[in-house]
Formats: sequence, C-alpha cells, structure tokens
Amino acid sequence: MTDPVAIGLVGLAALVTLIALRMPIAYAMILTGGIGVSLLDGPGVLLSQLKTLAYGQFSIYDLSVVPMFVLMGALASASGLSASLFRGANAWFGRFRGGTAMAAIAACAGFGAVCGSSLATASTMGKVALPELRRAGCSGALATGTLAAGGVLGILIPPSVVLVLYAVIVEANIVTMFMAAFIPGFLAVGFFLVTIAIYVRINPEAGPAGDAVGSRQLVADTVAMAPVAAIFGIVIGGIYLGLYNPTPAAAVGAALVWLHGAITGALRWRQIRAALLETASISGMIYLILLGAEMLKVFMSRGGVPQAVADAMLGSELSPILVLVLLLGALIVLGCLMDSLSMILLAIPFFWPVLVALNGGDAVIASDAGFGMTTDDLKIWFGILALVVVELGLITPPVGMNVFVISGIARDVPMRETFLGVMPFFGAEVLRVGILIAFPALVLWFPHWMAG
Amino acid sequence: MTETPRSDGSGGFLRAAVTAWALAGGGLLVAVIVVNVLSVIGGAVLGRPFPGDFEITEIGIAVAVFAFLPYCQMSDANVTADVFTSRAGPRLRAVLGLAASATALAFSALLVWRMWFGLLDQKLYGYTTAILQFPHWIAFASILASLGLLAAASTMTLVRDARDMVSAGAR
Repeated sequence: MTDPVAIGLVGLAALVTLIALRMPIAYAMILTGGIGVSLLDGPGVLLSQLKTLAYGQFSIYDLSVVPMFVLMGALASASGLSASLFRGANAWFGRFRGGTAMAAIAACAGFGAVCGSSLATASTMGKVALPELRRAGCSGALATGTLAAGGVLGILIPPSVVLVLYAVIVEANIVTMFMAAFIPGFLAVGFFLVTIAIYVRINPEAGPAGDAVGSRQLVADTVAMAPVAAIFGIVIGGIYLGLYNPTPAAAVGAALVWLHGAITGALRWRQIRAALLETASISGMIYLILLGAEMLKVFMSRGGVPQAVADAMLGSELSPILVLVLLLGALIVLGCLMDSLSMILLAIPFFWPVLVALNGGDAVIASDAGFGMTTDDLKIWFGILALVVVELGLITPPVGMNVFVISGIARDVPMRETFLGVMPFFGAEVLRVGILIAFPALVLWFPHWMAG
Repeated sequence: MTETPRSDGSGGFLRAAVTAWALAGGGLLVAVIVVNVLSVIGGAVLGRPFPGDFEITEIGIAVAVFAFLPYCQMSDANVTADVFTSRAGPRLRAVLGLAASATALAFSALLVWRMWFGLLDQKLYGYTTAILQFPHWIAFASILASLGLLAAASTMTLVRDARDMVSAGAR
C-alpha cells in the first residue's frame, strides 16, 4: 500500500467513517493520523514525535490570539454590549419596514467586531434580539432566519478565529488576512440588509415598521454604542495601522471588554467564571482539533498524498477557476458533516498545494500565473473565499449549527421554519461568493492599499 | 443529552478538581493577557516592552490550554457530527460514546507516557527559553499533571457511558 492516492483514499474513508460514528472530530483525526503513520513507518516515529508534538503545536505564537479572542467574545457576551448595540441600531432602522430585522443584522455585525465566533454571536444576539423582534411583529421565519444568518457575521468581520487558523496553516500574515476580510464583511452586511428589504416588500406582514424614536433618544442610544466602536477601533484599527501584533491587540481587546464590564457592573465573579470556563471549553476543543489535524498532516505528507493530489489535478487539465469552484463545492459538502474550524484545519493542507501548483508555484509572476495573480495574493483571496464558504455550512441543513442555536432560543418557532427563513440569506451568500470569485479586487484592494 | 451521575462522592471531587484546574488555566490566560497589555503600554510610553513577552505568551498559552483539556472532556465540549447517528437508539449511542471516551483515555495515557520522556529530554539537554532562561521541563511538568487529569476525566466519562449502555440495554 504505497500508492499515495490509495493511502489518501483509505485515510479519508477511515476518517469519515469515524466521524460518522460520532467519534469527536479531534480524536477521529488523531486516530487516523496516528494509526496511519504507524502503519507506514512503524510506531517508532510516532512515539518519538509525540514527546514534543503537542507542546510544539500548543505553543505556536500566532495561535495565542485564539484563546484571547475567545475570552474577549465570552466576556462581551456576558457584559451587555449586545443589548446596547441592538438598541442603538434599532433607533436608526426601527422606523422602516423590516427595520427591526435590519437592526438585528447591524447589531450582529457590530458584535462580530468584538467577537470572533459565529456561534457566540448568534446565541448572544439571539437572546437579546429575538424577544424584541417578536414584539415588533416580525414573523417567526424572518426573525430566526435573520439571527441565524446574522451570526455568520461574527466570523466574517474581523477578528475571526477561523481566519487566524487559516493564516497559520498556509503561513499567511494574519494582519493581511484581517484587512482582506474587511470589504467582503461589509458587503455581507449590505447584502443581508437588501435581502430583508426585498423579503418584507414581498411579505409586508412579516416585518412591520415600528415607531420612530425621538431625536434625544436617538442620540442617547447611538452614544451607548460608543464602547464597542472604541474597542473595535483600538483592536482592529491598531492591527491595521501596524501599531502592534494581533496577539497584544487581542490582549488589549480582552482587557478593555473586561474593564468596560467591570465599570458597568455587568461582570461579576459569576459571569467571569462562566466566561473563563466557556473559554476553556472552546479553546481546548480548538487546540485538540489542531493537534489532530497536525497528526493527520504528518501521516498524509509521509504518504505523499498532497503532492499526488496536486499532480492529479494538474494532469486533469481542468481550468484553474473550475478547480477552485470544485474545491469550494467540496467545502460546502464537508460543511454538512463538520464545523468550520475542523473543516479549515482538515481541508486546507490538501487544497492549498493544489492551488499553488495550478498557479505555477510559489514565485510565479502575476502575468504567467494560472489565476492571474501572485501566489501571495492567491493565498489571501482563497482564504476569504474559503471562509465565506465554510460559514455557509453554519446555515445549511442538515447540520446548520447557527440554526440549531437560534432554534434552541426560539422554542415557539419550528426548526423547519427557521431553515426556510434563512434561505433568502443563503441565496445572498451564494451571490456574494460568486461576486468575490469574479472580482478578486474586492478582497485584495484594501490590503494592497494599506501596504502602500 | 445524558445527565452525568453526580451521586458518588469521588466523581464530585473529580469534577471540582477538573473545574478548578480549568479555572487555574484561565487565570494563567489572564496573566498572559496582562503581560501583553503591560508590554504594549511599556512599549508605547517607556519605549521598553515587557522583557520576554513572546516566550511568556508561548509557554503560558500552551500550559493554559493543556489545563483546559480535562474540562473539555468532562463537559463533552469536543465537537461531534450528529448527522448519521441522531436517530440511533440509546444503546448504540452509548456504545459509540464509550468508544470515544476509551479513545480519549488511551490517547491521554499515551501522551503522559511520551511527554514524560519529553520532559526528561528537556531536562537532560537543559533546554530553556532564549531571553528569560525559563526551563521548558517545568512547563512539561504542569502539562503532565493536566494530561493525568485528562485521563481521569476520560475514565469518568467512560464509566458514565458504560452505565448508560447497561441501563439502555436493560430497557
């Protein structure tokens, strides 16, 4: 069994079988990778690697932003930032038809600016905005669909944990990736708002207009959003301007959210304890998957699989764009099986070499390249495309984690209705992926401009 | 979701220990955050960042995350795909849960064994960090404690799954 393609297929089949049998994804990767490498090279290699492999993985400096951003998001969830965001957005949007739903999208975007996780954004905003949406007369489908879709913004708008992991795998610059996500993130917000506007034009009773608020209230509610704007500006603005690395920025962000919560009195020991334990659960889960992905990668590269896959793709003479679309399609299918983090960690080590080979190697000049851009630019562009696509998995059946989260909060709305409500947003997302594929400049312009 | 039995005293003590250990890891994470904030302030105000902030971050985060793992195992935080098994009977689900807990136990035991030799290597060759000269083996020692606790937490979930299997079979 030395044919790389056969090794890859057997490994993949074993992995998928284990995951389908409800083995935690991290352990499915650890088992497949560990047993695979032992079969290829004998257990000696694995045993000596395990002396330092986990420590080496867990102490990667770039990854240290992950637990910090997770803690920042957990503290932000507990500290009432979400409520003031929603109130502020509703003061502006509430008077329009479908305005409460639009306010929820805007608030999700704002919350995404201090939180790097979609699930946390969906559950936090869900708890705050769902009762308000129903009170404003929003239909169950629109209310739950909006919040499930809005949660996706948590990860599309920097800081984003998935983007950090992508950057670590392909050795991209995290700062550049955060810049690249900026315009696509705002595009998503715009598309979602337009989606709601069209939806309530077709179904006017789904989202009636609310009363306009007085000007004094409008000012007060807007000012209440200032802490979030300040924290986002200091953290992400500081990163963009090169004032500090992502890790110190994440530390400053977590400290600021904590400080704000302590001043407003929202964060007491009970909330802090819960936030720390939530951080422990999520970070532990991410790092264990990371270790599993590394073991899987060791197995696959010792078997020569990534190179064989890349050669096969080159030999197939498919056009680069078609291969790109096929890979993104494969990510959507994988999304039915696993969460976005595992997907990025599992698939990118295989997909990325294929794209590099198609583009013509690491040092190709843009005019000769398969994708018409340098490999460094391809790295940025593909990262954003992959990010958008894996997040689609959060709102598609059968797994659709965001939909589950919102359904758990909205007990009176059947899950079927939530999936129906999320469909228009799904359509908007597919359209956005198409536009980002057609116009790479939307991704690349901002980082290029910032780089001067 | 199956409720974890809490009646027996040893399980209660273990749960408390695992939770306290995770909170200690959280405290370490907060300490690393403070170091980074001080480094930013020191760099901006005094032109002198916190010495060794890079290596404090690397080692501190690694040690903290290992301390999170037992809590992860105990609270079933490791993500699974439920697509194919959501309609499975309680007995099959208990068997699969048992297999997952057994894997966690086996892997944590393997890591304790291997990283013990890792610790000996670090000590033998006197590996330290570049700036603060902090010996890596001290980090390994705390990580071994985390992994021991992970093995204990896996045993606890294993016992729970075995009980679930028996009670599902009895029905």
